[in-house]
Amino acid sequence: MKLYQIVAKDVMRRKRRVLYAALGVVIGTMTVVGILTMAFAGQARIYKQLEQYGPNLTVIPAINNLDMKLGNLSMGTLTVGDNYIPQSQVPAIRQIADSNIREVMKIDDQGDIATIAPQLYENTKVNGVSVVVVGVDPEPERLVKSWWNVGKGNYIDGPDDVLVGSMTAELLKLNVGDTVMLNNSPLKIAGILDETGSSDDYQIFAPLASVQKAFDKDGMVSSLDIRALCNSCPVETIADSINKNVPGVRAVAVKQIAKSEMGLVDKMSNLMLALGGITLAVGLFGVVNTMMSSVHERIKDIGIMRAVGASRNQIIKVFIYEALVIGVLGGIVGYLLGTALAYAIGPLVFEGTTISFVPQYFPLALGVSIVVAVAATIYPAIRASQIRVADSFRSV
Amino acid sequence: MLEINNVTKIYGEGTARVVALDRVSLKVEDGDFIAIMGPSGSGKSTFLNIIGGLDRLTSGEVMLDGHRIDNLGENELVDIRRGKIAYVFQQYHLLPSLTAMENVLLPLIFCGNGADEQKVKTILARVGLGKRAEHKPSQLSGGEQQRVAIARALVSGPSLILADEPTGNMDQKTGNEILELFKELNKEGRSILMVTHSADIAKQAKHIITLQDGQIISKAALQLVR
Repeated sequence: MKLYQIVAKDVMRRKRRVLYAALGVVIGTMTVVGILTMAFAGQARIYKQLEQYGPNLTVIPAINNLDMKLGNLSMGTLTVGDNYIPQSQVPAIRQIADSNIREVMKIDDQGDIATIAPQLYENTKVNGVSVVVVGVDPEPERLVKSWWNVGKGNYIDGPDDVLVGSMTAELLKLNVGDTVMLNNSPLKIAGILDETGSSDDYQIFAPLASVQKAFDKDGMVSSLDIRALCNSCPVETIADSINKNVPGVRAVAVKQIAKSEMGLVDKMSNLMLALGGITLAVGLFGVVNTMMSSVHERIKDIGIMRAVGASRNQIIKVFIYEALVIGVLGGIVGYLLGTALAYAIGPLVFEGTTISFVPQYFPLALGVSIVVAVAATIYPAIRASQIRVADSFRSV
Repeated sequence: MLEINNVTKIYGEGTARVVALDRVSLKVEDGDFIAIMGPSGSGKSTFLNIIGGLDRLTSGEVMLDGHRIDNLGENELVDIRRGKIAYVFQQYHLLPSLTAMENVLLPLIFCGNGADEQKVKTILARVGLGKRAEHKPSQLSGGEQQRVAIARALVSGPSLILADEPTGNMDQKTGNEILELFKELNKEGRSILMVTHSADIAKQAKHIITLQDGQIISKAALQLVR
């Protein structure tokens, strides 16, 4: 028989009182867990949406336009530098991107991480109309342009397949199976893209090698889209690093939208967490209150324990043990109710978000509620330990 | 073993000032059995509480085995309660959620010397409750509850037992049984200070002191045939 067993027996005798005290903890923990679970689901949803923004980085040739001026008279601009990036620089760029991501994400895998989609833009005439043909690497291109939807026909599958933007197809009256001539190379239309609302609608996409060959641009690309598959990927660092180490190119991070979007989510999560914190604090006062009255109602028991040899610390221990019971109880119930709460109102807050169980919040809920229960008990417990034995008997 | 010198206890201040004990002195020898009598409010219980360190005195001193105990800190008082002085109360003061056995175990648990259930069983048998060890206080009669309380007082092996009207809530027959138990404990060499209202009970002690208005008005040595 140990002290905690005595406390356990006492708790069993005063079930209602203990449950009442636990209620304060439950409400606080429930709110925090509910909010976190909702924020988690909301974040996951926004991350998913962010992926649809496409590449995180764009690498383009470093072209400098120099204004030519004579006094106040403009003589036009002089373009310095190449309009193309040699494809031979892709491995160096990949190396920079991957090593940065590995470092941040602590990945040991030596395989490719970032998706790199090269593009070669060329002007050409199809059926007498000027269009832009884009040479792409079909697989990474598809990953980067996740919003692409091939409405008719199929995606690029062979060296002679081309994909046509919806407007181009409409304007040039092109259909799946038609042949288009790209600088005298005949290619077959494999598919037509659904409308995207972007410049893609006006372009024709063909395998990179075929375009390079047709336009005599072997080993050349116009730009590279880089997509890192993580949202915390250090795109700015990667861009800096590429700019420093790879000559003749300019890397631009395209994360501004993502950033403001995430900032909003963070602000909202913080606001909700503050709400949860306040609820927790209110719960704390509730528990302090119940513990105070619990002390009051047990003044006589405390006197008895003191009279038969309990030290002050042992009296405090009795109350701390009780707080642990309340904390564990409150943590379990609070977690369950908090998750249920998130299920109930999460879809209303983040439209159409599916809430999922977040098991890692369970230890958190347990920890929070135990800390709250113990913190709320310390003051009443110290008060309890200071009651003079004779006074405790007199009061009853 | 116990010496009480000029102990005064004052409750409250100003007009609410009550002198509960007024310069009381008393000497208790080893193995003594003193009955403390007096009308209600005469300071009997206060006297007992101060001796045992359950209450603080206003002035004077209490010596136990040659050491002052009235000015001890809480932790040192705990040590005294864990082996030298034990209490028996009129209201029994048992923890209602615990069985008789567990109530008696309580001092051992607080003491930290391991809960020796065998020892508790022996003591419960000694006070005549061998078969009721697993009963809760609510399932026991008043006399039985007081036996549990006495067993609890005995378990830490005190040399002085302070009993505050231990038979106050009992009929005469039960009261006498409890008194017999105290007499046996006294024969074993334990000193006993017992507050009582009953002259019949008091007569069976070795000494009687009578308190009135916070002062000892008489001390009598009883040489009765026991």
